[in-house]
Amino acid sequence: MGDCEPALVNHEMEHHIVAAAQHLMMALRASTNLNIDDTRGFISNVEAYLSTKSSPSESRGRLLKEMEEQLRQYEIVIMRWETNGSLIWDSSSEETSEYLDAAVEIQKLLETLGSVSPIRNAKQKELFLRAQCILEIAMSRLSEELRHILVRYKEYYEPEYMSFRSFVEDVVYDESFVSIEDEAADLTSHAEDDGGGTGNAPAEHLVSLIHPDMVPALKSIAQVMFSSKHDQEFCQAYVSIRKEALHEYLVILKMEQWTIEETLRMDWDKLSSEIKKWAWAMRIIIRVYLASEKRLCNEVLGEFGSINSITFVDITKASMLLFLNFGEAIALSPRQPEKLFRVLDMYEVLTELLNYIDALYSEYAGASIRIEFHDLLASLGDYARATFAEFRNRVALDRSQKPFGGGGIHPLTKYAMNYIKVLSAYRGPLNLLLCDKEVTEPCLVVNDEEECSSDSSCALAAHLRSLVSVLELNLVEKSKLFKDSSLQHIFLMNNIHYMVQKIKDSDLRCYFGDGWIRKHIGKYQQYATSYLRATWSSALSLLKDGGNQALSFCRPTLRERCKAFCLAFEEVYKCQTGWIIRDPQLRLDVQIATSQKVIHAYQTFLGVYSGSIGEKYIKYTADDMENYILDLFEGSAKSLPHSWKK
Amino acid sequence: MPATEYQGSFLGRISIRRNQVVSMDGPHEQELEDLDLFQRNIADRFSELLPSSSPLPPPPPPADGAGEGDPSGPAPASADAPFLSVAWLRKLLDVFLCCEAEFKAFLIMGRERDPSVIAKAPLDRLLPELLDRAVKALDVCNAVMHGVDAVRHCQKLSEIAVAALEQQPIGEGQARRAKKALGSMMTVLAAEDKESSGHKSTERTWSFGRRGSSAGANKDRSAAVQFRTLSWGVSKNWSASKQIQAMSANLAMPRGAEASGLALPVYIMGAITVFVMSALVAAIPCQERTGLAMHLQVPKQFTWAQPMTALQEKIGEEWKRKEKRGAAGLMEEVQRMERLGQALAEFADSFQFPSEGERAEEAVARAAELAETCRKMEEGLVPLQMQIREVFHRIVRSRSEVLDVLDQAGKLSAPTM
Repeated sequence: MGDCEPALVNHEMEHHIVAAAQHLMMALRASTNLNIDDTRGFISNVEAYLSTKSSPSESRGRLLKEMEEQLRQYEIVIMRWETNGSLIWDSSSEETSEYLDAAVEIQKLLETLGSVSPIRNAKQKELFLRAQCILEIAMSRLSEELRHILVRYKEYYEPEYMSFRSFVEDVVYDESFVSIEDEAADLTSHAEDDGGGTGNAPAEHLVSLIHPDMVPALKSIAQVMFSSKHDQEFCQAYVSIRKEALHEYLVILKMEQWTIEETLRMDWDKLSSEIKKWAWAMRIIIRVYLASEKRLCNEVLGEFGSINSITFVDITKASMLLFLNFGEAIALSPRQPEKLFRVLDMYEVLTELLNYIDALYSEYAGASIRIEFHDLLASLGDYARATFAEFRNRVALDRSQKPFGGGGIHPLTKYAMNYIKVLSAYRGPLNLLLCDKEVTEPCLVVNDEEECSSDSSCALAAHLRSLVSVLELNLVEKSKLFKDSSLQHIFLMNNIHYMVQKIKDSDLRCYFGDGWIRKHIGKYQQYATSYLRATWSSALSLLKDGGNQALSFCRPTLRERCKAFCLAFEEVYKCQTGWIIRDPQLRLDVQIATSQKVIHAYQTFLGVYSGSIGEKYIKYTADDMENYILDLFEGSAKSLPHSWKK
Repeated sequence: MPATEYQGSFLGRISIRRNQVVSMDGPHEQELEDLDLFQRNIADRFSELLPSSSPLPPPPPPADGAGEGDPSGPAPASADAPFLSVAWLRKLLDVFLCCEAEFKAFLIMGRERDPSVIAKAPLDRLLPELLDRAVKALDVCNAVMHGVDAVRHCQKLSEIAVAALEQQPIGEGQARRAKKALGSMMTVLAAEDKESSGHKSTERTWSFGRRGSSAGANKDRSAAVQFRTLSWGVSKNWSASKQIQAMSANLAMPRGAEASGLALPVYIMGAITVFVMSALVAAIPCQERTGLAMHLQVPKQFTWAQPMTALQEKIGEEWKRKEKRGAAGLMEEVQRMERLGQALAEFADSFQFPSEGERAEEAVARAAELAETCRKMEEGLVPLQMQIREVFHRIVRSRSEVLDVLDQAGKLSAPTM
């Protein structure tokens, strides 16, 4: 029935032409000058031809009748469904296409009927309005079918589709100095290789959000509704339901709507888990869900120009604001070092997703969302940088009033080293964030000539080394709280040994370089040596021949020297069994070094003088003493079994 | 009224001041002069927002549906931006941005005069309060962002009705189309109103056994359900009126010795923030607004207090009328849309072909007015949303700047949020 429109137009034109020709003929006939046979013959022929033409009103009447008949048939198709309880798209495909065809044809009829305006003919007008009414019923029905399809054939995919990323644990500086365990440092290493980082949205990340069989139905409904200028009704329904679906999916992902105020009031555990959820949901939503939503939009609305991108933005904007506002709230929160890793997670996820976001919102309609995400990335970057500086401050300025018991590993050292170790896993984002920040390395910093790889020359490496020197400086300060210089040395030895172990046995090694490690091994060995000297020099001088020069004029007897030495040993024993060297190997090393120095001297002394001293005045044999030395640095103060008797 | 205009002049002045290292008048004189200028600027700007016809116009006759073509609506603030219209709201946000920029300049300048002042009473209390208020304002921004979305939703529905009613001749089909669109629009507005009084229906099910005859009612409800999901910029139990209340709770005029220095500008900015946010909440659909109070008490001696109080009173009156009638918000266009929509829906409902005579002419005129209203919203709502977002970001930025100032003052004793 596609030809009815030109037919009607032709009739109209013909009507005018025939009328004009008849006028012309009359004028010719009236003219007396044209009394030529040829001409007269021509006129009669023309008149004969024209008389065969039916009158225009008759022809129009016939045409309208034809159209009315057609409309009646389409009406039957359309109205049949109004009394029927079932849905069109639940029925056979013949029936759906019959319905769609009927709607399209009514639309064409309307165009034909409306093409001659103003409509003077009452019949034509009536037909026009009737067609409009039926079309309206069809459109109303189609938008209902559309809603039905969108709801009924909606599909979700399991969020497990993308595994929850193994995020690192929190490193919290517990001021009570209790809960810091090294286990906290056994962190799952930061997986950098999952998901393939940046690049184009790979096809395998697309899922179907509407059952694929129904997508063509949506498309054909869109076509019919758009061509009937019911595009707004279509978009209205489409946007509402797809928006609802996205909202539901966010609920499935357990995303919650928090106000900024609530976010800022959250305790750290809650906040931390919300951040993890945010990062996880962001990846799924942006890389899979929205990419798929975009594809669906393209499939359904691809041929309708900018409406496509506007619709996509309308569907997704509210949800994107949810993500953006949470990010903004985090960037607003006080800068605490424990937040750094979570914020770096956010930063990293956002960096990774930015390409996707740019692609999803490349058109004008999405520009503000795109820009907001870029801005958020910048704010999170600023936040991370500031928090990094805050951590450095914390390490530099941590002050304790009391010396740390036993000279063991200070919680600050553990905290800082664990923290640094985790930091090293964020190499990518941190190098980006720190590259333009000059490190002012304190004097302790080592500038190695030999670097094990390019790792040790990156921005992060410089910052990490600087952090460790800040820590070292602070530890030196802390060591001064010990009155006993031997304990100062043990404390520094312990802590530097811990730092070296942490670095040597982890990825940190390449940031610090072998040179740094060697130098610091040298350092703690030096502290061990200093300890030996500080603790034992005076005692050992008692054993040396001609020992204490100051006492040379009133030289004590051998017996007295032996007794003084044993007394000194007991003092050391009583005191240093309470000191602590956690690392068994290091403890053994120090004990052996002590034995070598002390027992050796004692043995020599006894070997030479035991006869002159007399057995009963020798309280400890060298072997006794060697065993006692093994009690040192165990962390529980003891006294030797019986006190010295005169 | 671009924000930069004001900013430029004031900030320019400041930089000139800074360069005149030692001027004739002492720092205190300068401060007073700056404070005076700051307040005069505020007064000027708020005066511009006042409806031009100074004596309050008579309230519009109670909208009793169709009938008289009441041309009233809210009085025009000026020809291009009637009171509480989208254009007016955009002007209001411009005013906020300008005042905010000047306030910040003031704060930074004040600190340069005497850095220690930040850490001392009363600022050590006032600034954290200011920051807290800023956070609350951010949530208001987010809530009204979604409110504007709701209005846009209604605008789209109205546009459908306009498209149907603009057809000549109007047939039953078009009347039907218009009726349906307007019905959804009114449902959305009503749902919004119900929403705002806290009756949140948790049911979100789609009953799609639609052929259960009463398809109409069904559709209406689904429209409302859809809409509900559109307004989720804040969490479930959040209340706009409580938020405004909380923002103004600790806002008190500094007195006596406290009144000198920065305390006064901090107070003024607080008052402006509370006023602007409450105006937004009143105008734009927003979650839970029962008992929204529009009476922030500002002392009369300030030059800016007069226009601000007048505006407050006017909004308050409108609000009272709204509470009686039940509308989605005071936004001029929304009220107009509601009024026209109702009349047109009634027209479409009782439509019989052929429609001629007075009623038809009225309908044509209303449809044209609705079309014009939609056009204004189409032009203004997206920019308004962008501006709300701009305000959001500005508050975020300022907050962190103030935090830096506090940080430098080195006395962030009470941890602020």
